[in-house]
Formats: sequence, C-alpha cells, structure tokens
Amino acid sequence: MPQSADKVKDHISLFKEPEYLELFAAKKAQFECRPTDEAVAAQAEYTKTWEYREKNFSREIATINPAKACQPLGAVFAAAGFEGSLPYVHGSQGCVAYFRSHLARHYKEAVPIVADSMTEDAAVFGGLNNIVEGLANAYKLYSPKMIVVSTTCMAEVIGDDLSAFIATAKEKESVPLDFPVPFAHTPSFVGSHTTGYDNQMKGILNYFWDREAQLTAKPGTKINIIPGFDGYSVANNREIKRYMAEMGVEATLLGDVSDVFDTPSDGEYRMYDGGTTLDDARDAINAKATIALQEFCSQKTLEYVETKGQQTASFNYPMGIGATDAFLMKVSELTGKAIPASIEKERGRLVDAITDSQAWLHGKKFAVFGDPDFCLSMAAFLMEMGAEPTHVLCTNGGKEWEEKAKALLASSPFGANGQVWAGKDLWHLRSLLFTEPTDFIIGSSYGKYLEKDTGIPLIRLTFPIFDRHHHHRFASFGYQGALRVLVEILDRVFEAADAASDISYDLTR
Amino acid sequence: MLNRKKIQDLMNEPGCATNQAKSEKERKKGCGKQLTPGAAAGGCAFDGAKIALQPITDVVHLVHGPIACEGNSWDTRHVGTSGPELYRRGFTTDLSNLDIVNGGEKKLYKAIKQAIAKHNPPAVFVYQTCVTALIGDDIAAVCRAATQRLGTPVIPVEAPGFVGSKNLGNRLAGEALIDYVIGTREPDDAGPTDINILGEYNVAGEMAIVKVLLERLGIRLRTAITGDARYNDVAAAHTARANMVVCSQALVTLARKMKERWGIPYFEGSFYGISDTSEALRAIASMLIERGAAPELMERTEALIAEEEAKTWAAMEPYRARLSGKRVLLYTGGVKSWSVIHALQEMGMEVVGSSVRKSTEADKQKALERLGGDEDKLVDSIAPRDMYAMFKEGRADIMLSGGRSQFVALKAKTPWLDINQERHHQYAGYQGMVTLVQQMDQALSNPIWEQVRRPAPWDIEE
Repeated sequence: MPQSADKVKDHISLFKEPEYLELFAAKKAQFECRPTDEAVAAQAEYTKTWEYREKNFSREIATINPAKACQPLGAVFAAAGFEGSLPYVHGSQGCVAYFRSHLARHYKEAVPIVADSMTEDAAVFGGLNNIVEGLANAYKLYSPKMIVVSTTCMAEVIGDDLSAFIATAKEKESVPLDFPVPFAHTPSFVGSHTTGYDNQMKGILNYFWDREAQLTAKPGTKINIIPGFDGYSVANNREIKRYMAEMGVEATLLGDVSDVFDTPSDGEYRMYDGGTTLDDARDAINAKATIALQEFCSQKTLEYVETKGQQTASFNYPMGIGATDAFLMKVSELTGKAIPASIEKERGRLVDAITDSQAWLHGKKFAVFGDPDFCLSMAAFLMEMGAEPTHVLCTNGGKEWEEKAKALLASSPFGANGQVWAGKDLWHLRSLLFTEPTDFIIGSSYGKYLEKDTGIPLIRLTFPIFDRHHHHRFASFGYQGALRVLVEILDRVFEAADAASDISYDLTR
Repeated sequence: MLNRKKIQDLMNEPGCATNQAKSEKERKKGCGKQLTPGAAAGGCAFDGAKIALQPITDVVHLVHGPIACEGNSWDTRHVGTSGPELYRRGFTTDLSNLDIVNGGEKKLYKAIKQAIAKHNPPAVFVYQTCVTALIGDDIAAVCRAATQRLGTPVIPVEAPGFVGSKNLGNRLAGEALIDYVIGTREPDDAGPTDINILGEYNVAGEMAIVKVLLERLGIRLRTAITGDARYNDVAAAHTARANMVVCSQALVTLARKMKERWGIPYFEGSFYGISDTSEALRAIASMLIERGAAPELMERTEALIAEEEAKTWAAMEPYRARLSGKRVLLYTGGVKSWSVIHALQEMGMEVVGSSVRKSTEADKQKALERLGGDEDKLVDSIAPRDMYAMFKEGRADIMLSGGRSQFVALKAKTPWLDINQERHHQYAGYQGMVTLVQQMDQALSNPIWEQVRRPAPWDIEE
C-alpha cells in the first residue's frame, strides 16, 4: 500500500507510486480503447499547426475555454458594494453557488449571496412564490439593509417579471414596503458579467432615484465614480479614494467592494462591512458628474445617469501612465481641483522606474486576454514601455471594442504587429500561441493551461486569480499600481532569463 | 608581507607608454591616483585583485577576513564559465572578535584544509584583507605550510584593501600569478599557435565569440588571464607563443615579466569594434608567424577578416537609417574607444565625446583623428555635474557607459546603454558590434523616453 497512517502522501506524490502507475497503465491498456500513443502525439502535434488553426478559427458553434463569465456574477458583484446589501438571485441555487465560489476563490473571503432556489414546480408555475418566501426568509435570517435581486437563466426563460413579483412580495409583507429591493434582469445567455454589472448598477440607481421616491437632481460639486467589475477592486478602490483625497475632491464610489471583500480576522464575523452607504447612493443623483472607470461595464448606467442631467465620462481601466493621466485630468477638469505635486511625484517615480528597466521589456511580445477594458489598458501600458501586444483577445469584446482596440494598436509603432481578437476564446488563443508565439501571456489563472501547453510564461494580472494568493490586495490602478504591474511583468521576464541562462546566470540584472 | 618597494615597482611600469612619457619627477609619484578622503571613490585593492583572479573557474577563492569582504564581492561581475562552477562559491574565514584578538592564521589553515577536503580543487587562492593584514596574519607563511602539508598549491594574494586603488589590486593579482602559478606546469601539448589573452575576464561570456574566431584560424587559446580559465592552463601559460593584452592598465606588468622570463612577445589590442578586432587578429597572426608558425596563417587571417567584416557591415546596414544623425557620448573606461568610434561614425552617428581614461597615447591619437582633431571631445573624465548639464542641454542623444554613470543619464532623461561589466550582451568581436548597434537602436527607440522628456500632461501650457 502506498498510503500509510505514519506517512500520508498528498496527491502530488501519491499517484506517482508504482501501484498507481501500474493501475493507470492497466486501465489504459484494457479499458480506455484509445489510439496508440504515437497517434495521440501526432494529433497533439497537429493541433499546433497553421492548418489546425484555420480549422479552429472556422469554428462557429462551440466555444472552448471562454475567458468570460455570465451576467449574474457581475450583478452580484455590483450589488455587494453597498452598505448592508445582500445580493439575492432569483433562480436556481446551483448558479449562485458558482458565483459565491468564484468570488471566494479569488478574494479568499466569505461571500454571502442568497438564492431563492427555484425547483421543477417553480419552473412550471412561475417563481412568484419563491420570491415571496425568499425575500421574507432572507430579510429575517440575515437582517440586511437592502436586498438586490438579479436573475438566472431559468427565471428568464420562463419570463418571471421581477418588478411585479417584488411588488407582490411587499404587499404580502415579505419585507417592509419601504425596504429597498432594487433589481435587474440578468440572463446569462445575453452578454457577460460586465453586462450584468452594468444592468445591476443601473437597477440600483434607478431604484433610489426613481422608484423609492421621484428624486430631482440638485447638481452640486461632488462626483460619482463607478469602478466596474474588477478583481483588484479591494486595493484599486482604495487607491482611487486616496487620489481623490489628495486632490481634495469629494467623490462617491458607487459599488465600493473594497471593505466587503477584505474583512479583518479579529474574532468578529462581518456579514456586511463597508460599501457605499444607501444615503450616498440616493445623494449620488446630485453629483456634478459620474465617471465610469470601465466603459464596457457601465454603458447603460451612464446613459441613465445622463437623463438626470449629469455629465459623464468613461475610461478603460486607468492602469499605466497615459490612462492614469487621462483619468486624473478629467477629474481635475470636472472639479476644478488641481493635481497636487505629491501625485506628480508618483508619476515621475513610475517613469523613472520604467527607464531603469526598459531594456528588458523592449520588443518583448505579449499575448493579453481578459475583460474588454483591461485588455485595452494593458495593451496601452505595454506599448508605453516598448513592449509589443501581439495578440489582444477578448471573449466578451464586441464590434465596438474591436474597433477601439485596433485604433489603439494603430496609435503606436509597438502595436504595428499586434492583432485584435474579439469574441474569441482561449482555445483560439492556443492556436495563436503555437503558430505566432509570444514571449509572455498576460491574463487570469485560466491561462495556466496555455502556459503548460505552450511553455510561454503566464503573468496573472486580471480576474479570476484562483491559484495565487492576495494579488487583489495590491493596486493596479494609478501610477503606484502601474509600478506594481511593471514589477510583476519584470519578475517573470527575469525568471525566464534566469531559467534560460547557463553561462549568464547572473547575480545582478 | 607587502613592502613599499614592490608597490612602487608596480607603479613604475616600463612597459606602460603613459608612464614612459612622464618626467622623472612625476614617475616617482607613481601612477596610482591619490585617493581623496571624503570624495566618492571606486573599489579597493582587494576588490581589484579579486575581480582579476576570480574568473579562474575551477579553484577555491578563499577570502581571509571578516564576512563582508567576500559577501560584497561574491559573484558580482557576470564572468561566465564553460564548465566548473566552483569559483562562484563564496569561501571566507568569516573572522569574528576573538579571531582578531588571537590571530586568524590557524583558522585560515583549517579553512584551507576543509575546502581542499571537500572540493579537491587544483588550487586555492587566499586573499588578504585589511583586518588580517592589520593584525599581522602572515598568509604567505600559512599558504606555504598548507601547500607542503596538503599537497595542493595554495596561493597567497597579498592585496589588502588599504594598500591602494582597485587598479593596484589588479596588478598585485598579476604578481601573485607570476610568483606562484605561471610556469609551474609543463603541458604535453604545447603547439606553435598557442596564445594567451591577458586582462580578458569573459564578461557576459563574450570570450565565446573570440574563441570561435581564433579556432577558425587554427589558433589555440591556451588561457585567458583570467576569463573562463582553468588553473592548470594558467600554470602552463608560459608555453604560449604570444600574449595579447586587452586591458593594458591591469596586466601589462604581467605581460612584460612573461616576456622577460620566457621570451613571450606581447601586444596591446582590443576585440571591441570591427577594425580593432581585425587588427588584433592580424597582430596575433604576424606574431605567431615570427615565432615559427606557418606563414600561410596570414592569408587565412585576411580571408577571415574580409569575410567577417563584409558580413558585419551588411548586418548593421538596416540600422543605419534609424541611427543616422544621432549623437552619442562614449564613456567607456576599459573598452578601447577609437575603434568603436569608427564603427559608430560609419553608422552615420555623431560622436560628441569620448573618454580616454584607460587608453594609451597611441589610442588617444587614433581617437583624436577620428574625431577630426577636436580635443574638446576627448576627455579624461567628466564630472557628473557637467555630464548632467550636457544631457540637460540636449548635446547627446545616448550615452554608452558603465553602471556608475547610468543614473546621471537617466535622471537627465537620456537613454543609456550599459557597456561595462554589468552588461548582459556580448559586444566583443564582429558579432558583438552588431549586437551593440541593435541594443543602441532599442535604447533610443523605446517610447518611455518621449514620456520622460514631456512634463506631466497637466503641466503643458496650451
């Protein structure tokens, strides 16, 4: 027996024991009915060719290894960023377990989200009863200050009407009449988690500004900032707040999850911690302007905000020099507050750091995948440093994104050889990496299979990061954030240099 | 122990053109720059000796002193090896309080014994440091005893930090080699085309480039002193037919002594730049022929030079348009500059200045010709403040230098290329020049420079 109580082997070494190797070999020989090893190897080789790439890219129906998630994930993320807010999903509980584990694996935090667990009878008769019961139970069990409802596909397919159902539930006293229950319809079969974020954010504002009471905007001097779906939100939101404080700008972050997904271990369980206060959300209608940090997470929300007479502006994930410049200058322009010397100094330090390291990045080729806004700013930052974004791939990027990405690459000689891949998945990227290889891959943890397959090192810089800890605790926004991103990239560049070195295995680089 | 006379002799090198050009009075002062207390200075004699010998790859380098002498000098020079890794280990006696009161000789002996027992090296080099010299440890005696009792050569390197500059340390390292190592082994394969290269340390592993060129001519590099060297090859270096001195200020004394003792002629040359590489190959060939190698060696040498030069210029051609008109400041230290100036000018670049700190008079003359007789462009050294001003006023587009002046350029928003020992690219030989041009092109075209030169966008007046 390979396993004994005196020395328990974990699975990394256990399955290398002779008993297991024998077992695997016997299973393969007797039961798997598989082609010869040579045939498998030959087929594997074939998948690395241009011919296979063409077949792969003519694929119309199947998506293999998508780099995106579904609407309700974005919706519960947006909902979680408010004070005492309980995200509530109307539909099957299995979906909700996925969202919770997705967020918990990334943030290493408990993520409270409830579902009203629709079953077969609900699918036939409609989910009204589930909402009536579900809201009542959630309200009693978890004492939230607000319950934010989104939907899974199941409820959407049968056409449940949230507005009417919630009204009915309130009539039946599931929750008090004046208890905030914003909602959004978020079918998974439309868009992605970025769409869901947008819908839910709009739903929440719409509830406070139009449904709870008909508010009229009294424009003031404050601004609103909508961060968008961002795996680094814990640190990034804090960085944005620090910038606003340094500039003396009064700003409201709408959907601020920085404390929600980063609670201390001090003996007290905080089911709710931090988040945008509900009064701030109500008052946000009186802001002078609303800025979205991620354009493709906020298009519908901004359209709605504009109907309230506010100015709006949107950015594509303010990471890197130019992107941060543009963000700060817009804030300065909108508020009339100058950018202080302290921030200018941070900028200078970032530029200084890049000059120190530019020789190691110059001309290095990168494949970038992730959400639309992240892809744009990552590619832009790479080009600022003299690196080349060779493949920019975005599964949830549409036509508009594609044009924007192409224009971005065309703006710099370092983008001249870059290609934009909208709506493509990670299996497409695999073909790209075998036929037109890059030096590094930038993306999420899902890129690790590509790394193993192609041997091209992966740099984890976007959601989800399941297999490395605490990346989200350090900002990627702003100049300091860019510095950190620079260091992450450089670390991999140097590791690759060390790994490839025999004669030049140098102490100093 | 070291005496003043030895140091004075080292500083009065008859083989050194600079020294010979001096007046009697100046010569007496020696060539070591007097250190100025309170001013920033370079490395000490210990450091100089260590870097000159550490590239010998298969021996134990044992530093007798407190921990930091070894700690700080441990594998910092990127000198490559094609085999043994032993030289990369940091060995030290790590003296502490009590050792200094009681003397460290016994500890040193034990350390030598332990190192030999564990690694069985062909030799051990023992380095004196300030502390052990001050307390009077006689490392020469310990090494003598260890050699006799343990049967492995143990070589004392008497260059404690306080005796002088890093350059003096280089020379003292040469003394250790001539006193204890070179000539102690008779090889059974001495041939008519064996040479040594002195003052070549295999930085960034670039000797590989040189070796390939020599091998194509059928010339055997017996050893470099000391890049990628093996102890037994250094011990047999006296059987070479010619010596090439690359970094003349460091080891010209060694070359002269080898000539006096074994009649090995030497010349000073360089593998940096296209024309210098060709010149060096020609000089090696003609020296070997004089000493009995087949005369057709020269024909083969010329053929190789013609082929390689044509190939190199062709490889550099694509960069001409991109580099043409760019102004470059060479601040090079050890790397001979005139031949690099030549190549850069051929690329259409303007050389706005070149340092000649470590060049001979002849080199300076050649450099001056290349720069159109403009003496202002030839400088011994530039004070950081002036250098900063030079970049600030935009008089140069790029600087090639060692790491020490790097930040002057960078803080003045000017691209900089490392051509000193911390570099990671091989710039020697024909191929190296192409690499240099490539790297320069990269440094100049990186988008961060545009960013660096612009103020923060909110500070730009509309």
